[in-house]
Amino acid sequence: MSKTKAAGLSRRTFLKVTGAGVLAAAAGEGLLAGAARAQGKTLKIMQWSHFVPAYDTWFDGVFCKQWGQKHDTHVTVDHIAIGEVNARAAAEASARRGHDLFMFLSPPAAYEKLVIDHREVYEQVAKKHGKPIDLGHKSTYNPKTKKYFAFSDSYVPDPGNYRKDLWSQVGFPNGPDTFDDLRKGAKAIKDKLGNPCGLGLSQELDTNMAMRAVLWSFGGSVQDEHGRVVIRSPQTVEALKFVRALYRESETPEVFTWDPSSNNRGILAGRLSYVQNAISVTRTAEKENPEMSRQIQLVPALRGPVRRIASEHVMDCYVIWKFAENEEGAKQFLVDYIDAFREAFRASEFYNFPCFPSTVPDLKPLISNDPTASPPDKYKVLENVLAWATNIGYPGYASAAIDEAFNTFVIPTMFAKVARGDLSPEDGARAAEQELKRIFAKWE
Amino acid sequence: MALRSSTRLGVAMFAPALIYIAAVVGLPLCLAFLYSVGDVRVGSVGYHFVGLDNFRSVLRSPTFRRSLANSFVFTIVTQLIVIVCANLLALALRDRFRGRGFVRFLVLLPWVAPISLGAIGWKWLLDSIYSVVNWVLVHLHLVRPFDAPMWLGEPRLAMASVILVHAWRMLPFSTVILLAGLTSIPKDIPEAAAVDGAGFWRSYFRIVLPMMTPIINVAVLFGVIFTFTDMTVVYILTRGGPYDSTQVLPSLAFFTGILGSDLSEGAAISVFLVPILAVIAILMLRVAQKAEVV
Repeated sequence: MSKTKAAGLSRRTFLKVTGAGVLAAAAGEGLLAGAARAQGKTLKIMQWSHFVPAYDTWFDGVFCKQWGQKHDTHVTVDHIAIGEVNARAAAEASARRGHDLFMFLSPPAAYEKLVIDHREVYEQVAKKHGKPIDLGHKSTYNPKTKKYFAFSDSYVPDPGNYRKDLWSQVGFPNGPDTFDDLRKGAKAIKDKLGNPCGLGLSQELDTNMAMRAVLWSFGGSVQDEHGRVVIRSPQTVEALKFVRALYRESETPEVFTWDPSSNNRGILAGRLSYVQNAISVTRTAEKENPEMSRQIQLVPALRGPVRRIASEHVMDCYVIWKFAENEEGAKQFLVDYIDAFREAFRASEFYNFPCFPSTVPDLKPLISNDPTASPPDKYKVLENVLAWATNIGYPGYASAAIDEAFNTFVIPTMFAKVARGDLSPEDGARAAEQELKRIFAKWE
Repeated sequence: MALRSSTRLGVAMFAPALIYIAAVVGLPLCLAFLYSVGDVRVGSVGYHFVGLDNFRSVLRSPTFRRSLANSFVFTIVTQLIVIVCANLLALALRDRFRGRGFVRFLVLLPWVAPISLGAIGWKWLLDSIYSVVNWVLVHLHLVRPFDAPMWLGEPRLAMASVILVHAWRMLPFSTVILLAGLTSIPKDIPEAAAVDGAGFWRSYFRIVLPMMTPIINVAVLFGVIFTFTDMTVVYILTRGGPYDSTQVLPSLAFFTGILGSDLSEGAAISVFLVPILAVIAILMLRVAQKAEVV
């Protein structure tokens, strides 16, 4: 018995030692945290891992560092994957703890009651840089409560990306300009060369955007200006008929399988003739496949029978939680960030476009002559992006109901079911209306 | 009356497990019930009782009805595949042969590896562009390059894919259980049957299988619970697509509750699982008790 004790620890001693260790560790951590607080303020930021790594390098290592030094604040930036943003936000909201600044990638209207009114930030910024663009305003403002539930610094355009070599062979050297061009050209390419068109029909971000562009271009929409569900319309039926025809003539069932990166991979691998996506496609090609980079060119949103319009691809929306520990610091950070937005625009390689255009006064010359692009004026088509880019919820505001419809993929599901022939266009619109009305009723 | 020191120690040793279960299982379950009859959104600040409104709302949703049906298909077909294959594997791995340890290690790998990693691996194997499966089929000239099967893009193929991947994941678990059951059968019984002239199949179906029934039930019931409540495979492989044709209740609850911001409706969807799982759990406990007696 004594030998056993001498060789090891008794249970009682083990519990004492480990218990003391845990207490000591907890006390130590508390002391360290206390010491850190005593040294100055902290500002905690949560945002996505930017598609352009150079942006994060600039944001974390340059801007936040300098801002922290200037304001005697320790700034920490946590990055998460794009797909984790909403789940993380829900966790922070539920725990009423988390970061001072949280960045969403779509309008977070559902969180309105848990965030401050960001009007003050907008007003501060407006003094220097003027009013935000309509897209930013409609993505962050609730007209019923008159509250800004977020602050948008930037958005990401969603142009068409086409393979110039393929489209040239079927008589469209400058790519499609209208949805009619898209249908004719994509069919000709598939018939002649085998390459399918790449408009997604899956439950993911890019499909959400692409199908809204079709819907709006044909004159349909999820809601009207007053937030009433109007999906069931002759215009929606026409849009559904168009996508059904496009799918049957020019696509393959792969479009039902996609995640947000699939169409990027598809066109970069040389398979797809056309995709609708941010400039992530061309930027990746420039770095990894220069030959393909020369072939992939951009076109603005395609014109439909009614209008030329597309959604933003990503909408940066910062919120300051009501439970933020450093609310004032977070507000000041946003104001100062907008002051430095020209650097952000350049660091993002023209991915993030400003919601306050005066912050990048030389935007047009910059994107018209990019030495990394081939040709250097590849991104010139984006100079009039505000003429065709709009917000989720067009022609109304981005509301909580719109947010739920967006995140539960009602519109992609409607288009996919009709494209596959599971529902007629009329029945597809009717089913979507039923689902949308159910969602809208919940949020009234 | 003061507790004896051994009783106090017993309570102290048992308390962490009890607290853990109450905090990690009991509390969320109670919250789910509470949310399902309330109006809780991710950004809401209060709670209002709304009765069965959330249940009425989800029952009106065709997506919910489809997800409910998919959950049953997903669970039943997966378990059928798992039990048949686990029986075969257990029989193969029962006897000694060169490399048996290594084969057992390989069989266990899908269970040991994180399911998210395994599912991502399968996602690439079944990818629409980079699928190794399709690459082989194309190079064998069995399909054309632009006409390969879209494993995750056709509703039936997609459902078959998620079922097979989940079966791949669950197979080791059931195999280990059945292997344990198989090795516990006294050798003299099948040997006596063999002396009496019973062949492999007769011996298996008349002796081994009946003796294994309680343990197979345990494997099935655990498997049903794990499959019915799983959303990882569906979420990673298809995200419920194409157009909700592989959506199951757990993934729909996640999409609605967390991504769609409606915690109450997400909870109502989850709560639909409870009566089904409760019946299965009761069955499981009874069968486990029976197996213990055997």
